[in-house]
Amino acid sequence: MYKMLVIGLSAGGIPLVKRLLAALPKEYSLAVVVVAHLLQGCESHLAHTLGAATDLPVTMARDKELIVAGHIYVAPPDYHLRVEQKLPHTFSLSEDKPVKSVRPSIDVLFKSAAEAFDSSLIAVILSGANSDGADGMVSVKQLGGLCIVLDPLEAEFNTMPDAIIAKVDVDYVVGVEDMMSLLVSVDEK
Amino acid sequence: MTTLPKWNSHHIEDVEVNLLLYALKERYGYDFMGYARASLKRRLLELTSYFDVEHLSQLIPIVLYDETVAQTVINHIFVPTSDFFRNPVVWDYLRTKVLPQLASFPRINVWQAGCGYGQEAYSLVILLHEAGLLKRSRLFSSDINPLFLDKARLGCWSIEHKPQWSDNYLQAGGTGNFTDFFVETESDIRIRSEFKQPIEFIQHNLVVDDVFKEMQLVVCRNVLLYFGNALQEYVVNLLTRSLERGGYLLLGRAEYIVDLSEKHPQLELLDGVLQLYRKRIGTS
Repeated sequence: MYKMLVIGLSAGGIPLVKRLLAALPKEYSLAVVVVAHLLQGCESHLAHTLGAATDLPVTMARDKELIVAGHIYVAPPDYHLRVEQKLPHTFSLSEDKPVKSVRPSIDVLFKSAAEAFDSSLIAVILSGANSDGADGMVSVKQLGGLCIVLDPLEAEFNTMPDAIIAKVDVDYVVGVEDMMSLLVSVDEK
Repeated sequence: MTTLPKWNSHHIEDVEVNLLLYALKERYGYDFMGYARASLKRRLLELTSYFDVEHLSQLIPIVLYDETVAQTVINHIFVPTSDFFRNPVVWDYLRTKVLPQLASFPRINVWQAGCGYGQEAYSLVILLHEAGLLKRSRLFSSDINPLFLDKARLGCWSIEHKPQWSDNYLQAGGTGNFTDFFVETESDIRIRSEFKQPIEFIQHNLVVDDVFKEMQLVVCRNVLLYFGNALQEYVVNLLTRSLERGGYLLLGRAEYIVDLSEKHPQLELLDGVLQLYRKRIGTS
């Protein structure tokens, strides 16, 4: 039974994540967290942009916020976002220095989510021009979570999905359409 | 021994973190037990490569017997990151909506908690100066870490930040020229001494030290992030008690006060996006 879906993306990932979120049913039983690297200044609109694509509620994650199923959270710009292990699960933000020169870091979110949710976690990597997410995905795999990567052929920038596939024996390398059905089907089990 | 559940290395690290925090608390009186755990853990684990040890628990005996190592560990827990006029929209709001309200007080007391390297404290000075209120304002800027306070008192930062800060200043509605507040060298910008005088930098630990009295504005941005829920509640209480009735409290943009109406009925939320609160007039 999966409880959380984390999605990491960078360059070229926004149209893809919009399609994924649009495919999720109302009353999705997983909490969804999106972490994206964006140009400074564009980031604060991401929750709004994604909200227009889905019926699920989309908000910027806040420090100490209780994590709720069926809700989509977007990592706020310029902080690292983590999931706390302590129950009930909450978010925490920090101003620790950038990791692989980015903040928010996909690695940081994925690692903390893996430690909090173990095998109840699904992690997805879309398109991007750097290798952020690869170390985080290692933790997801080690702790029994489901690892999904976009087929690099479908990514506008394939450095990120390639880096994940090179480092982790992921469960699925799929196109967007298949990824959509996969993410819907995990909720039906 | 009975069969143990499977332990992942991150569970063992959790035990090491707890033991180290216990050592710091018992030996040095610094209590980080109630801090938000995920970020604290990451910061402590970074120390293993700094000290070149395999496991965090190997630092415990050294921390217990070597005060300088303990101080290094403690200093590593705090991350001073800020900019002049960070999140310009917040500063524009202070300038256009809050300062005109404060102008009605004969004296304006401002407490900025968690000053780091001083950027926000001096941003406040510039704001008060441009509103013509600086002469009757008193600013207290506090931090737990004496090293940060020294740096903040110096008021000197790398010149590489200048374009970004200058831009923030203009976006925040600044009417002058950002560089006029500084003396520039090839590598640094240094705040002019007349803008240093109004600030008193004070070492203060929000968890153990006392309130500041009769403040009209308390700015505490990206500090509550460090604390767990119970400590946050305690600290928000301290900040509230420091405020005069009708006074304002400004938090960081991604922060919010958990259970505001139940736990902190004296505060009302004025703007959720900016995270600006006000102490109700009808309370003590």
